[in-house]
Amino acid sequence: MPETTPGLSAFFEAWDLFREPALAGAVAGALLGMLGIYVVLRRMVFLSAALSQSASLGVSLAWFAQVRWSVPAWIASPTTGGTAASLLAAGAMLAGRSSLSTRRDGVLGWVYLLGAAGTLAVGTRIVQEVQDIETLLFGSGVAVRPEDFTLLVQVSVVIGLLHLWLHRGFIQVATDQDGARVRGLPTRLVDALLIVSLAVAVSVGTRILGALPVFAFTVLPAMAALGLAVNVPQALPIAALVGGACGFGGYLVAYRYRLPVGASQTLVAALAVAAVHLLQRALAAIVALRNRQRHDHNHEHGPDCGHPAVPHGDHVDYLVGGHLHHPDAEECHDHGPLAGP
Amino acid sequence: MSEELLTIKDLLVGHAGRPILPPVTLTVCAGEAWAIVGPNGAGKSTLLRTLLGLQPGIAGTMRRAPCTIGYVPQRHDLDPTVPGRVIDLVRTGAEQRWSFISPLFPFQARARVERAMRDTRVLELAREDWRHLSEGQKQRVLMAQALAGEPRLLVLDEPTSAMDMAAEGVLFALLDELRLQRGLGVLVISHHLALLGKHATHLLFLDKDEGVVRAGPLAEVAQDPAFVQRYGLLMHQPAGGHHA
Repeated sequence: MPETTPGLSAFFEAWDLFREPALAGAVAGALLGMLGIYVVLRRMVFLSAALSQSASLGVSLAWFAQVRWSVPAWIASPTTGGTAASLLAAGAMLAGRSSLSTRRDGVLGWVYLLGAAGTLAVGTRIVQEVQDIETLLFGSGVAVRPEDFTLLVQVSVVIGLLHLWLHRGFIQVATDQDGARVRGLPTRLVDALLIVSLAVAVSVGTRILGALPVFAFTVLPAMAALGLAVNVPQALPIAALVGGACGFGGYLVAYRYRLPVGASQTLVAALAVAAVHLLQRALAAIVALRNRQRHDHNHEHGPDCGHPAVPHGDHVDYLVGGHLHHPDAEECHDHGPLAGP
Repeated sequence: MSEELLTIKDLLVGHAGRPILPPVTLTVCAGEAWAIVGPNGAGKSTLLRTLLGLQPGIAGTMRRAPCTIGYVPQRHDLDPTVPGRVIDLVRTGAEQRWSFISPLFPFQARARVERAMRDTRVLELAREDWRHLSEGQKQRVLMAQALAGEPRLLVLDEPTSAMDMAAEGVLFALLDELRLQRGLGVLVISHHLALLGKHATHLLFLDKDEGVVRAGPLAEVAQDPAFVQRYGLLMHQPAGGHHA
């Protein structure tokens, strides 16, 4: 008998069951998507991968401590373990910060590999938790405990407000560190705040969703948003929206097609980036077509082309149909309508 | 006497505690335009980064007047993947020290941002994506960004690289105008000796290979045997009318 896939109406009929995990994907996607703008702008994509693997190791060690050493769960809770490990990793990265990008990349690689290999190694010592280890690495937010969801919302509100307040400082440090230092901004403090807030968000997200979707949410929504926004402040809420939509939409897709949740959320985010890229290409093609139509002349502009030459800033344009045309080696650009007196 | 904006005495610059140049001594006053010249790899950028506080000096003293410094980096230092309009880029230059913690600061700094854009003639480009501008326009936007902080000392790192000669001339003329209007001290790295001959008032000549550092008024350094040996008598148009 062929297997039937559940409809989305069944999903919303059982909303009480799915509310926490579906909303956890949306909240974590929004928070990590917003923070991911800084990760992508600073070309430190590997940072979030390293932090999420460190958080995985911390969670595994917490389980190990509970199973092997009978440490009470309220002391060695997975959330505490994940947060402590990712903060330690953030500290190592801040301490290993160097003007040499090779050194910085090396530290990131070291943290990532220690986290990934450590998680797998610890997993072999806590056989009864192996399923949880796999969930941790690849993500499967099928069920989220209410207290974990509450913690995620609290962390998201605090970090979101902090970033709303200080976003101009974070943007300066992420896009123009030298300029910010010359202007006297406290770049080290801002940098530390950024990495610590990222470490906390990643550790809580990893505990609930797993390392794979957390890594995806800190990279892919930001890529999509930076392709859509006109500036970085605008990219921040767009990335949060895209991340939230991918977290929730990924959960729906996983339910509908019986896929692992983490993989589904990651795929949805990757497809969002591809869709934005295609949209950009299409828009660029339309603009180029309109440009060609506006520039429908079978000659190259020059002193003798017949079009009036108009000085424009530090160069000369040619007036065609009320628009300033500026030729360069490859094509003719429309520099807009001629401004009035 | 003009206000002293930057005074360095026997400053040694280099990497990992190893100096790459002989000690440098100079004083930049308001209204002066200092050109830093020298062959590629002469230590110009290392000196500039040290003067800006981006890397520590090895020895010597450096005293800066309690004023803002405007820094115009090389254009290729800007990441072309970062979206932004001209107004966004210039606004970042207005942020100083802890101003970013005040939500009201963008409104308070509006007049400074507008003045900087007007003085550099980029006001009409405010809503344009800076990545689509010509090289000359980009450079003027970077100057507006530096001026938005109302600096007394303006430091520029090769502002005319990858520009044609006409655009270079326009930019140096604008720099002169800003210096005189605002009483700025200017420090600029450039390879364009003919233009520097017209627009600089002082020269700092560096040559790491020969271990040479010469600093002083343009006419004096341009006739120094070490300078003449490297560049010949290229700079035959000392800046008469451009002094503040």
